[in-house]
Amino acid sequence: MLQYQSEPLDLAFQALSDPGRRAMVERLSFGPASVSELAKPLPMTLSAVVQHLKVLEEAGLVKSEKVGRVRTCTLEIKTMTQVERWIAERKRFWEQQYDQLEAYLAQTAAEENDR
Amino acid sequence: MSITNATFVIERVLNASPARVFAAYASLEAKSAWFKAPSDIVTLDRDFDFRVGGKERFRARWPSGMTSDFQATYHDIVENERIILVYDLFHNDEKLSVSLQTLELRPEGGRTRLIHTEQGSYFSGGMEAVKGREHGTAWHVDNLVALLEGKDARAFT
Repeated sequence: MLQYQSEPLDLAFQALSDPGRRAMVERLSFGPASVSELAKPLPMTLSAVVQHLKVLEEAGLVKSEKVGRVRTCTLEIKTMTQVERWIAERKRFWEQQYDQLEAYLAQTAAEENDR
Repeated sequence: MSITNATFVIERVLNASPARVFAAYASLEAKSAWFKAPSDIVTLDRDFDFRVGGKERFRARWPSGMTSDFQATYHDIVENERIILVYDLFHNDEKLSVSLQTLELRPEGGRTRLIHTEQGSYFSGGMEAVKGREHGTAWHVDNLVALLEGKDARAFT
């Protein structure tokens, strides 16, 4: 099995598979927020938000910094641009199709010569 | 939900006339011979109506349980010259992208230069579904193994 997906990318996808964490990422896309600001619109406890935040941090999507008593979270833009990698994968998909097309054309050319 | 717009181009010089390359797209029988999947995917829906305004669909279930759904409409077809289609791609019923795909066939000696230009709007809210893309590679490896073993990889039919 080929291993082309880096582990960080797997972690990012896992982190984004949860709607609550996606909501947090969406909120942070408008700018940094404190943990309580993040928790306010969400139907979950503050400790659940902290847990989700930990998953997002481990995936490299979000970083947080504690200043005094307030922990401020920001989006790690670098990881989000991995959507570009997804687009590259789409290109790779079509490249694979054309490998098959070339093989098919070679095979059918041989059949035509046999006639 | 944020959107990323992107364009990519693939160019191939194929060892066949434009007429043979066009024919490889123009019927379900021919297209299924090269548009291939691993043997363990299950085809759920397959439509193929190759004419302007006609639709193509390929919906399948992968070994992981994920379903992918390719839904295309042909917008322009000029025999042996070009094919233009627009397609939506869904994973688990979530729309990941809308893409305009232009295929140009240019004669080059007895061969054909295929120029594939794809302009897409990608919805990053669907990114998590992209995990399924690893199957693209698995599929490729499966086909390679099948070739090495002298077997035909199974087609989308």
